[in-house]
Amino acid sequence: MISVNTHEQPWREGLNVQALLDEMGFIFRHIIVRVNGEYVPEEAYAARLIADGDDVQVMHLIAGG
Amino acid sequence: MQPGRYLRNALAINPDEQERLAQCRALVVGCGGLGGFVLEYLGRLGVGDLRAVDPDTFSEGNLNRQLLSSSLNLGRPKALAAVQRMQAVNPLAHIEGVQAFLTEENAAQLLEGCQVALDCLDNIPARRTLQKACALAWVPLVHGALGGWLGQACVILPGENLLDMIYPDAGAEHGEEYEQGALAFTAGMVAAVQAAEAVKLLLGKPGLRGELLVLDLLNGSFERLRLA
Repeated sequence: MISVNTHEQPWREGLNVQALLDEMGFIFRHIIVRVNGEYVPEEAYAARLIADGDDVQVMHLIAGG
Repeated sequence: MQPGRYLRNALAINPDEQERLAQCRALVVGCGGLGGFVLEYLGRLGVGDLRAVDPDTFSEGNLNRQLLSSSLNLGRPKALAAVQRMQAVNPLAHIEGVQAFLTEENAAQLLEGCQVALDCLDNIPARRTLQKACALAWVPLVHGALGGWLGQACVILPGENLLDMIYPDAGAEHGEEYEQGALAFTAGMVAAVQAAEAVKLLLGKPGLRGELLVLDLLNGSFERLRLA
């Protein structure tokens, strides 16, 4: 299992950030991802593997007032 | 003896706290969707001194959500509308309207005498300028932002620089709001959280610390995400 924000989520071998975002329906263009507190830039989503037990944080980037 | 207008505060905010709020000054930067509601909440609650900053005038596109806008004041300054509204809503609250951008040059003067600042801005560079100024002036900052059905708020104590976690791309100016728009109830919800956190800071009560409260009004979910 991994944690995504405040939720537990199943983990599988080879899971990467892009696949996780796709599976969880994060479809907005502006997203901030951290794995175990480390910021993952968008260009690294497909290459960044997620390990069992990782703590993933996904935030939408919003700045309207 | 408390004014009768605060009677319904009294079971939640004791007379000493009400009096302390009357002695406080809050800086509200941005008088649009967030700032209009924030000023309304703080003024009605009894924060005694408000400084409202915004360089803009109202346009038709503001009418869907900005409390201070109306079909009668299109083209008029937002900071002026803030003053007129507060004078009608609570004459006991002193309010100063400043029609200007907050900049590195004027920030210290705008923050002078303030015990809290509220980030009701609509772009990332201006938010960073405010965070930096608040750190220098040692004033806590309550951040709020929205995009469509999504909103967020957090408390930034001097030196925490939490905006760098929320907006890690140093070059970004805007976020999802350009794709998702801005809705009245999202602005009102985020502003309510900001006002509550500001009042808790002013009264020394525990509140959000090192966490971002994320509201998703489409899914009906509230999450607290760790930032620090």
